[in-house]
Amino acid sequence: MITIIYGGTSSGKSAYAEGLVCNSKYNYRYYLATMSSQDEESKARIKRHRKLRSGKRFITLEHPVDVKNAIGDIERIESGDFSTEDPYHKSNIVLLECMSNLLANEMFKGGVTQELDFCVNKILSDIQELEAKVSELVIVTNNIFDDGIAYEAETKDYIRALGAINSQLALRANKVVEVTVGIPIVIKG
Amino acid sequence: MILIVGGSYQGKTEYARQNFPNAKYFNNLHTFIKKRLEDLKSQDEILAEIKDVISEGQWIIISDEIGNGVVPYDAFDRQWREVTGRILISLAREATEVHKVVCGIGQRIK
Repeated sequence: MITIIYGGTSSGKSAYAEGLVCNSKYNYRYYLATMSSQDEESKARIKRHRKLRSGKRFITLEHPVDVKNAIGDIERIESGDFSTEDPYHKSNIVLLECMSNLLANEMFKGGVTQELDFCVNKILSDIQELEAKVSELVIVTNNIFDDGIAYEAETKDYIRALGAINSQLALRANKVVEVTVGIPIVIKG
Repeated sequence: MILIVGGSYQGKTEYARQNFPNAKYFNNLHTFIKKRLEDLKSQDEILAEIKDVISEGQWIIISDEIGNGVVPYDAFDRQWREVTGRILISLAREATEVHKVVCGIGQRIK
């Protein structure tokens, strides 16, 4: 089951997504972080997000690329849990934050620009594998589409790829919520 | 206080005039925030100044949503969008109503 949280920069989408996860009743809560860059601004952003999450029982997993590798982490963590004999009672929710970073990391991996369709399909297939292994997957993604600026080809491809991923995921999602000035607007489900 | 947000040129001001003709207006809040940031004011100082301005009477605050684009190359522009977003979230929390205007059509979201 997929839930999509969509919004612009500083729209309150992360706080909303975290609230959604914290109000859910799953045994395990994972925060799948995709931000990788280590400049001061990113570090400050990561710090702010960590503070938002502190005390909320999140297990943090970091995968700037290849998010399906989170499945291995989850299996390792939960295989050591003998509180229930039935593995099917080990329910879990994963909050992936965020798709725009994941796409940038996949698309510009190792300083080489990957082809648009290849990136879109690769990410969608990784997400599909991850979704199949968890009880619920909440994906935070960005609205980067409304500034009306004509960018050069590479950035245009990036925007187009994120638009395609958002649309494909929304099609598959049970619920899509847009967050504006901290207010959720349900656009599907 | 009533907050009206939306993209640029969506008819926010016209929508406000039609629906709230007797209120006082604080228009282009995003531009106001930009000017204050250029004067090196902090997010908290700017928010306090806005609250001071709207402390008496019925006010309508109108702002562009500027966070819905590609991350700007310029550090100041990035700061501007972030501070504007955070201030709008604070104001939305305190507003009695929040409206979003798209293509001239307003929708009350709070």
